[in-house]
Amino acid sequence: MSFARIVGLQPRILVAATRHTPANSILARRLISTSTCAHAEHNLQSNPNEKLRPVHPSATQYDAQSLEEDPYKRGPSAIDKAVHLFFLTEIFRGMWIVMENFFRPPYTIMYPFEKGPLSPRFRGEHALRRYPSGEERCIACKLCEAICPAQAITIESETREDGSRKTSKYDIDMTKCIYCGFCQEACPVDAIVETQNQEFATETREELLYNKEKLLAIGDRAEAEIAANLQADHVYR
Amino acid sequence: MVSLARTIRNLRRVGFREWWRQMQYIGDAKSGRFVGSDQFNNRYYENMNAEEEIPGRQRWVDFSQHEYNASQVPPEWHSWLQHIRKDAPPQDPIFAKVSPPWKAPHIENLTGTRGAYKPYNTVKPKISAWEPQVKARA
Repeated sequence: MSFARIVGLQPRILVAATRHTPANSILARRLISTSTCAHAEHNLQSNPNEKLRPVHPSATQYDAQSLEEDPYKRGPSAIDKAVHLFFLTEIFRGMWIVMENFFRPPYTIMYPFEKGPLSPRFRGEHALRRYPSGEERCIACKLCEAICPAQAITIESETREDGSRKTSKYDIDMTKCIYCGFCQEACPVDAIVETQNQEFATETREELLYNKEKLLAIGDRAEAEIAANLQADHVYR
Repeated sequence: MVSLARTIRNLRRVGFREWWRQMQYIGDAKSGRFVGSDQFNNRYYENMNAEEEIPGRQRWVDFSQHEYNASQVPPEWHSWLQHIRKDAPPQDPIFAKVSPPWKAPHIENLTGTRGAYKPYNTVKPKISAWEPQVKARA
């Protein structure tokens, strides 16, 4: 049993040495972006060929001669465990991670100049969309109003000149909304969508009571982004 | 200021004037490829070198206004800045295809100013005050 095995540093140094092409780059700097996931983990399976231990040691397993197998056979020995316990290796492993991060650049994102990654499915401020001809998509079917768990949507409909239906009132109370995205999933014509805009904080409460004109204006501004997001996500819909 | 070596390296790359502006606004010296600017003259930069920028700091915006605000970024550049789209809007094929003629100009979040949104009712109110019709007396 080597010292590194006892201290628990072996996998990190080995991984660092194998990833970088120069052979003797044990001291190569590991970056957050290039290193593997660094969850705290016991150094029990340093050999990848070693079989996985049974998940439940209590479940008895039998070998070829139908004799009961010792579930702890492939696991660490009692001496191993005692060494890890008495030398406080978990404490030192944790302190090693702290020391690594002490010498790394800080993970501070300078908002609003820099922003973290966002999904095309992100659910932010709502918008009402139009067809490419400029016609409103919403047909006042009220499915979004029905499915809204917070009951934040209020719709009233009227008849258009050609006899079809449209909304005369489409209010969303953004203070009630829980941004669950059910409305855009319920919508049969992709009229109500949630844009990726999250910077619509206001100073007063009444500014968050959106009406139809406001929602259409948001949609008119962000149509390119909405369409690009729907296009990026259409294979999963 | 993240580290002295990084600050000196980026100062030598971008020059003193740009460095001073960055320190006044972003608060950190950054250097990268100029990607483009939008209709408000906000300038967008990118540095994908993993040795120099951590994830989340690889794309950034240099606001043209002193009173900067996150909502001053138009939607197309917003989706580039937040890594929703891979390509910048001028190069993005989807943005070129789906920009309709009725697209409205971008407006920043005007809360706290006189241009702030005020909600109003878009239908006729259901309850109206009694307006007595009085016949003219003979």
